[in-house]
Amino acid sequence: MAAERAPAPPDESWVADLAGDGPATPLALQRLHEILLRASRHQVWRLRDLLPGAGVGELEDLAQQAADDALVAVLRQLAGFQGRSRFTTWAYKFAVFHAGSAVRRQAWRRREVPLPDSIAVVDRAPTPEDITEAAQLARAVEAAIQTALTPHQRRVALAVLVEEVPIDVLAERLGTTRNALYKTLHDARHRLRSALAATGQLDTISDRSLP
Amino acid sequence: MTYPSPRLTPERIASLLTDTDPYLSCDECFARLDEYVERRVQDPNYTDPVMSAHLSGCGACAEEADSLLELLEQDAG
Repeated sequence: MAAERAPAPPDESWVADLAGDGPATPLALQRLHEILLRASRHQVWRLRDLLPGAGVGELEDLAQQAADDALVAVLRQLAGFQGRSRFTTWAYKFAVFHAGSAVRRQAWRRREVPLPDSIAVVDRAPTPEDITEAAQLARAVEAAIQTALTPHQRRVALAVLVEEVPIDVLAERLGTTRNALYKTLHDARHRLRSALAATGQLDTISDRSLP
Repeated sequence: MTYPSPRLTPERIASLLTDTDPYLSCDECFARLDEYVERRVQDPNYTDPVMSAHLSGCGACAEEADSLLELLEQDAG
């Protein structure tokens, strides 16, 4: 497959042609769109399990739209290309980003985004598993979620890390940015780790269950 | 008596407690992603602690990094 593609032009002339308005610009744009479409198709097909009811045509539409969006983004940020990677790699990442966002947005289009204020605990008789080290850790984490986090940190951490709402989907629903939510998660994790470290439970688990 | 939520699986607890220091924003990760992935293709043992910390804590960025890596490996193959 790779051997059938035309070789990419040298980065410097390609970028110059894209930035200019000369006779070579249309071909440079066409080549850019081709590689963006290759990357967006790749990403849409990687994530196709998120869209179980989607047919080939819908997936292709998503890839085409993501490639178009990526083309606009690449041209807008062309001056930021500094040659630290190949131009194709730099451009690919815009298509991967737009295609990934599009698939996740589509997958959650009709779904309610859960924003729990607390973890729902279970009220029942204890089982042998409840006295294990893992259950004790879960209780400690649950307590830290309730006591160490602000309400906003709790809602974001539970939505993204427990309910598994994609961070960009949640950002869109809350009218904020992926950056802002990631910072909230970063601060929440720091608080949770500090709370567990204060009771000696972080040392117990750090060698076993953390990445 | 109450017990922890069944939603707090070991994987989710690990995710809640992931150490994401040093801090790197998603935008900064995106800005460095192309160079980082090219280095990973050239040397699978290449590591960047700041990028690794972010990718271990951000599923969307990690997925995009994996996808880009796969694309470059296909190009190289």
